[in-house]
Amino acid sequence: MRQGVRIGQKQHTRTVLVRAALVRFARDGLAEAKTSDIAAAAKVSHGTVFVHFSSRESLLSAAIEEFGAKITKRLHELVEGGSSVGAVLRAHLEGLAQFEPFYTRLVTQATVIPVAARSTMVMIQSAISFHLSQAAEHEMAAGSIRRMPLSLLFNTWLGLVHYYVANKDVFSPRSSVLKRLGPELVRHYMTLISA
Amino acid sequence: MTTCIACGMPMAKPEEHAMGDVSKNYCVHCARPDGSMQSYTEKLKSLTGFIMKTQAFDEKVARKSAKEMMAKLPAWKQ
Repeated sequence: MRQGVRIGQKQHTRTVLVRAALVRFARDGLAEAKTSDIAAAAKVSHGTVFVHFSSRESLLSAAIEEFGAKITKRLHELVEGGSSVGAVLRAHLEGLAQFEPFYTRLVTQATVIPVAARSTMVMIQSAISFHLSQAAEHEMAAGSIRRMPLSLLFNTWLGLVHYYVANKDVFSPRSSVLKRLGPELVRHYMTLISA
Repeated sequence: MTTCIACGMPMAKPEEHAMGDVSKNYCVHCARPDGSMQSYTEKLKSLTGFIMKTQAFDEKVARKSAKEMMAKLPAWKQ
């Protein structure tokens, strides 16, 4: 029983640390955030961080994996089966907007992402490309959007979104760029691919 | 919401489980036509193909990414 409580407390501390890390990495940067600040935000000693994570890189990987699990789940909730391409794109932006500061770091500081966590980025993009491909294949067959390779359809969309996210400071310095300009990006993209 | 042990996809509705059977912990995309779960080799091949088709990754990179993704999933963890 006591052992069960200890395991529960350990898991709780780990969860609190990962949540604090998500906030600090988003705010200070993937390369810049300090483990001492993360510990302080989680209200634990600095040494406790390293009881749960062997290194700062390991904590960053855990934060990225937590983000990946959350965003994938949220995207799945937002995209209904049989959604149109436009609905998938809107859901994509709505999901990302909820985690925009952390996602922006992942896009702009990609080289800092630990090798162990890079597959999480592929997993996130695969989740949205899965929903987009399903909708696009249906609409290409129906003739409402133009036929094109699914990879170009997805990568063109992602390129557009990432350009605006990475340059948020010029497009929307005071608020979420995805919330502010997202509807316009979806309309423009739909115009480009419509038959 | 549960997630598929073989690909990580969330399963919010019964029809997302293999054969629509909520007692199965893998999804409809990871099931063979008879309802059994695909093998590691089958899943690696389909996931690699999916990443290449939808994101245009180089084949070797796609296979490596698929392997790394699968290594984190309960069905394939060593």
